[in-house]
Amino acid sequence: MESKRLEDILRVIELCRDVENSSANPFDVDIKDKIRLLRERLPEWRFLDELLLDSEALLELAQIVKLQDEWLKHRASSLYIDPLLIQLKVKLLPKEALSEAFVKSWHPVAQVDQLSPRGLEKAFVYWRDLTPMAERFKDEFGSYGVRPGLVDYAELVSLGVFTQDQFEDKLVALHDELLQKSGGEWIDYRKFIESQDFETKVLRAYLLSFLISEGRASLKTEPLTGKIWTIPLSEKSKGLPKSVAISITGET
Amino acid sequence: MMEASDRALLERKVRKAFQVLVLQRGRNPGVKGWELKRYLGRDFRKIVEVLSEDVSALGLEVFEVKGADGTDDSSRFLLRFKESPTISEAETSGIRIDDLAVLAATIAFINSKQGRVGRREVEHFLREKFPKWRVEYSLDRYIKRGYLEMDDRSMLHVGWRTRAEVDEKTLMTMILSRAQEPAKK
Repeated sequence: MESKRLEDILRVIELCRDVENSSANPFDVDIKDKIRLLRERLPEWRFLDELLLDSEALLELAQIVKLQDEWLKHRASSLYIDPLLIQLKVKLLPKEALSEAFVKSWHPVAQVDQLSPRGLEKAFVYWRDLTPMAERFKDEFGSYGVRPGLVDYAELVSLGVFTQDQFEDKLVALHDELLQKSGGEWIDYRKFIESQDFETKVLRAYLLSFLISEGRASLKTEPLTGKIWTIPLSEKSKGLPKSVAISITGET
Repeated sequence: MMEASDRALLERKVRKAFQVLVLQRGRNPGVKGWELKRYLGRDFRKIVEVLSEDVSALGLEVFEVKGADGTDDSSRFLLRFKESPTISEAETSGIRIDDLAVLAATIAFINSKQGRVGRREVEHFLREKFPKWRVEYSLDRYIKRGYLEMDDRSMLHVGWRTRAEVDEKTLMTMILSRAQEPAKK
């Protein structure tokens, strides 16, 4: 029942919009009838959304009244001619006759559109005082006036994109170190990755994780003690890989 | 009898009015009433009348386009041809006959539809006579130049420039009174 009432209001809005968006006769909308409908429904609305819809419908009806006013003015202006008659005439007349009709009712505007010495002076002053693009938004966005250019290898290394030693070389070196230190036995993972600085420690852990993933080393954990052991493998492991999460801290 | 000083003042103001009207200031030609008041004083209408008489010898006139609220301030004043140009004169100004025909048909169609009609409807109407690309190009161009106006609902209206330059009543009468002629290929 309630949805039916809302539907009535929505229909009023839709009808008004259809008329506004076309050249339909605005007098096709029975304003009195629609206003009466809105008045009848108004006491039934309880929610804000319903009241907003009601006011929207009223606004649309006001737009239709405005269109009716314009329609009457136009019809009284003696410019009104049956659209079908005009359409027929325009279709039948050749382009030359149409353009001649236009030209005979045309009074072109006379104007001079040219530069004056004063205008030139203003333009010059504007150009002279204009801040360069690179400087204009510096305060707001910082300097971005550097032109595009080439970045050399040394700069990429300093940015950390590349390293001097190739990644694979580092992996081989770490594997050799693991072979040497372990002597083919399980050794303490944390002791092995330990280093003077934290960055190197993380890097060693990162490289070792690669060796383990590739099957060139293995890892085992003791859940009770929390100890982690690692061992180098001479042949690549063929077992199913498992993920192990290890946190690296700065502590030794 | 007007004194010499009064005459000199009037002549100076008429000259000023001509300069203000003939030089394009902004994007659109002509000057608003409030601007003329600032340049010429409160009695600017009298000055404009004198100027209109003076320029009639050159085939020009000062024309007023009423603003939305109908006040002096909102009116736009401009200099325009008193008589219509000939077809060949219109052609020498670089306007194509096809473009003028599109504009004539559009204005007539809008007027027949109570002054407002959807752009799609106009395009559909014009496409029976003109190629699609010309219809779209011409409509965009005339909207840009102020001959037509398009609102946010894509409804086309007659623009201020048409109201300033075109005697719409004459246009409608001429279109209706023209006898059917065989279309030229």
